[in-house]
Formats: sequence, C-alpha cells, structure tokens
Amino acid sequence: MAGSVIVITSGKGGVGKTTTSANIGTALAHMGKKVVLIDTDIGLRNLDLLLGLENRIVYTIVDVVEQRCKLKQALVKDKKNPNLCLLAAAQTRDKSAVDEDQLKDICEQLKEEFDYVLVDCPAGIEQGFQNAVAGANEAIVVTTPEMSAIRDADRIIGLLESKEGLDKYRLLINRVRPKLIKSNDMMSVDDVVEILSCELVGVIPEDTNIITSTNKGDPVVNDENSLAGKAYLNVAKRIMGEEVPLLDIDEPQTLIEKIKKFIADKMKGLKK
Amino acid sequence: MYDNEYFVVDMASCSTTGEIINSLSLALETMNRSGKKIVLKLNDIYLNQSQLLSLQSLITSWGCTLDTVETINRDTRAIAENMNIFVQHPLEFSQDSSQHSMSSDFKPFNMATKPSDIASGINSLHFEANLEAIQKELDEKPAIITRPKIEPEITPTPPIFEEEPPLEFKNVEKNSIGVYKKAYDENEILCDNWEEVDFYETPVDDPVISDTKKTTYINHTLRSGQILESDGNVVVIGDCHPGSEIRAKGDITVWGVLSGVAHAGFSSNINARVRALKLNAVQLRIGSCYSRRPDGTNIPYIIKSSIFTPEEARVVDGEIMLFKINQN
Repeated sequence: MAGSVIVITSGKGGVGKTTTSANIGTALAHMGKKVVLIDTDIGLRNLDLLLGLENRIVYTIVDVVEQRCKLKQALVKDKKNPNLCLLAAAQTRDKSAVDEDQLKDICEQLKEEFDYVLVDCPAGIEQGFQNAVAGANEAIVVTTPEMSAIRDADRIIGLLESKEGLDKYRLLINRVRPKLIKSNDMMSVDDVVEILSCELVGVIPEDTNIITSTNKGDPVVNDENSLAGKAYLNVAKRIMGEEVPLLDIDEPQTLIEKIKKFIADKMKGLKK
Repeated sequence: MYDNEYFVVDMASCSTTGEIINSLSLALETMNRSGKKIVLKLNDIYLNQSQLLSLQSLITSWGCTLDTVETINRDTRAIAENMNIFVQHPLEFSQDSSQHSMSSDFKPFNMATKPSDIASGINSLHFEANLEAIQKELDEKPAIITRPKIEPEITPTPPIFEEEPPLEFKNVEKNSIGVYKKAYDENEILCDNWEEVDFYETPVDDPVISDTKKTTYINHTLRSGQILESDGNVVVIGDCHPGSEIRAKGDITVWGVLSGVAHAGFSSNINARVRALKLNAVQLRIGSCYSRRPDGTNIPYIIKSSIFTPEEARVVDGEIMLFKINQN
C-alpha cells in the first residue's frame, strides 16, 4: 500500500509550520512508521536545523531535480531514529528551481517506500506553495489564534479545496495560551474552528521548550516533560487514525486551582 | 642588508589588520615567486600573537616563509621573538638601507593603504629584492603597477557541476560521512607547547595552484545562500556564515570564522587545504573527501575572544584532520 503525502501549510509565516513538520515527523517515526520529510522552502531552509541534520546535507532537492544525484542519495537519515529521513532544500537557489511536476514525481516515488511523506510548505501562496501542494493528498493547515493567521488560513483552505487529488484537510491550532483564553484576550479553540469550519487535528499550547529545542536541533517530542511535545504526539496518533481526546492544556496557575484540579482528576479516576 | 632571497613588505602606513592583510596579499600576489623569505616592516603597529600567526599562515600558504619582522613596538617584538621570528629594529636597518638606497638611487615608496586605492588598481611596493631590474622598469614606466580589478564571483544561481560528472559516494549510505577531527588537544593553552607538525615537508604530487593570479579575493562577509566559486585559490577577508558555500580548485583561506561549507581542491585535488582563524564549518570537503562537523559542537554565538586558533584542515590517510597552524 502506498503511503500518504501530507502537506503542512499555513499561508502566514511564523506560525510554526516547520516546527510542526519536524515534530509530527519525529513522532510518527517513534511509533514505527517510515517517514520522510521534504523541505520545499528553497533558499530559506530551516527544517534541517530543527532536526539537527544541517551538517549531514550533501545533496538537496534541487540536485535531485536536476539529476545530479539519485533520490535515495539525497535522503539524510535522522541521527536517532532510522525510520526518519529528510530531503533538504537548497539554500543557494530559489523557489523557481523546482516546478510542480517535478515535486509531484518525487512525492510519487517516495510514497512507494515510506508510510508518510510530510511536505513542509513555505509561507505565501506563490510558486513555493504550488510546488508543495502539487503531490499532496492530505493537508494540515497550521494557524494561531490570531485574526491575521486565521484570515490567511481561510485563504489557504479555499485554495486547497480547489486542488485536485487533495481529499482531506485538517486544522492544527498552534501557540494556544489557555491563560489568555480564560481572560478573553485570545480566541478560543472553538472560536477558531467555528470561523474556519474545518476538522481539527490538534491543539498545541505555547511552550518555551520549543525555543530551546529549535536551538539545540532536537524536536520537542523527544522531551517527555514538554506539554507541546505531548500534544504533537497526540496529533501524530490522530494522523495514524487513532481517536485521541484533546490534551488538557489548562495549566493550573494558583495553588488553590492546582488542588482543585488534582481533586477533580482523582474524582474522574474514581468514577471510572 | 637583505639579499635576493628576501622580499620586503612595508606595512608602516597600514592602520587596521584588514589593511595589513590586504597589502600583504597584494604584495605576495605581485611577487609571484615562491620560496622567498619575507621581511615585514611593521614600524609601530601592534599585532597580537594570533594576528601575527595568521599573517604567518597567509605567507606560508603562498609558499614563502616569514623570516624577519621589523618593528619598534615592544609588545610586537616580544611576541615575534616568542614565535622564533627574527626581529630587527628599523633604525639599525634604515642606516644600512639609506646608504644602499643612495648608492642605487632608489627611492622607496609607501604601500597603498586605502581599500579604494587598492581596488582601483594602484599598488606600489617597496622592493629591495631586484633593485636593478626594478630600476630599469622605473625608468621605462611610471612607478605604478596596475592590476585588473578583481570582480567577486558571487553568483546567486551559479551553473554548478555542469562539466563535472555527479560525485559518486564511495559508500551508498549517506549517513556515513565521517566527522572531522582535531589533531590537537583543544584545552591546551595556546602559548605553550606548540605541536611540532612538519606537514609542509611531505612531497606533494598534485600541487595546489601556484599561479597566484588565479586567486580570488573577497573583502566582505559571505552570507547565507551565497556561493563563491573559483578556478584558483580563494582568500576571504571576513566571516563565512552558515549556509554559504565556497568551492575552489585550489586552497581556501578565510580571515575570520568559517561556518559554511568549504570545498577546497574541487573536485579531485586532495592536497588542497582549508585555513581559517576559526574552523567551525558545517562541512569540510577536500577533493573527494567529505567530512562533517561533530554534532553539538556548533558555536552559534561567536564568543568574542582575542585568542583565535588559526586552524588548517588537510587530508591525512583519507580523512580530513584539523591542525593548529604553527610556526615552521
């Protein structure tokens, strides 16, 4: 059975497409799936940095397209997980170095060998986006609970709907801050889902561990204590078809709240 | 007095290290002869050990040796003496040289100091070597040696690998790129115990490009996404940021921190070398040898330190090794 090609896109920049790609990819690989990550952000590559594979890249997607190497040669294996591979973007070229048909072809080839092909899409709706979407049969739209990101996500969903061969798109809400939602300063998850009227694949809380993990080149799912890491693991499970309830991202703030939450959890356990 | 074996470079009018390295590079390039002993006239310029070492390494890379330093600066004298470089006081020399100059009716002129002057091709040198030959030239031509302006060959979208067949890996597995190792102890204090590595004594079958006109000079920082390609040697005065790439058929010398990808001896000369004040390269490639930086050794924020260890990478038994550049 051929694997599925999932494009991770957002329209707006800086919402966490690359972080999401790296983490979902790592999480899926942890669960024993064969995963390949494709960085299509040619000229502004970052995915290799997040995975800590920067120093292993010799051939890039442009080399594959221009037939200077074989596709297998250009795949960089992850340091820790042999199930995970990366097809890096070239830093010295731009988006026009690759076209839609070429990327589609690469996706078709990789689909045969891997369970999941995750395509990290660049920001914008130009050539780079068109390339990334070309071979995909599933999409994850990343957004944050901000008006600007939601507008862009809406535009992207519109473009995805008109795309042939793409039969499923789901929403991932990133950088959610429960405290701000409580004080009514941030749109809640339900609000966002209602505005975009789109199936939800996960909610990722804002987490400072993301910054450290990016700098270290080690995805946050490898950190057991991180809330965002757990959320990404849940997203990966949902992608695999499991039904996982949304992670409780409400972190108790005061001591009384903590005690209340503790008792509530205990009660839940007793009822079961 | 210096005889024909010596070559005098006057640095007295330079003020910044950038100017010094520029003048020196130009002087060495104009000279176009290897095996010379270089005499540096530093006058009152203060150079610390790492700066002096780097100058020495640059000179060595042109096949010459730094023999004598002329300076009146006490600190520079002490450092040079510490490095086993012969030190001379300019006064002792100038008495000598004034007589000599008068007898041969030769008036020394100063080095061009402003980068703009250099760029426009005005280049003047103080030759003590072939006085008679130069005297003849002076009679015939004005005392300006012109030189074509060097255009940096930075191209955002260069035609790469066009003539070369794709590089085939010895091993099919991509992850098998080895890590480059340091041939010395990092924690060793710089000033003590210089390792004696006579790597210049080994005979070279496939010599690095000695045609000095084929050297490209870049006077600014190479940023992410920029490729520098050259058929000869490359000298970069500035840093090479991560994401940049240098590909040269000869040697690569970086007067700064090298953090990008460097490919010297492209694509088959394993006798080529890569030198930098700090070798932090993501990947080092020499000829057909590839190596990567060990994981977790990246220096993301350059710690400003006066102690730079000029390093050189070369191929030893099919592996790329890093050496501290020492006096030899």
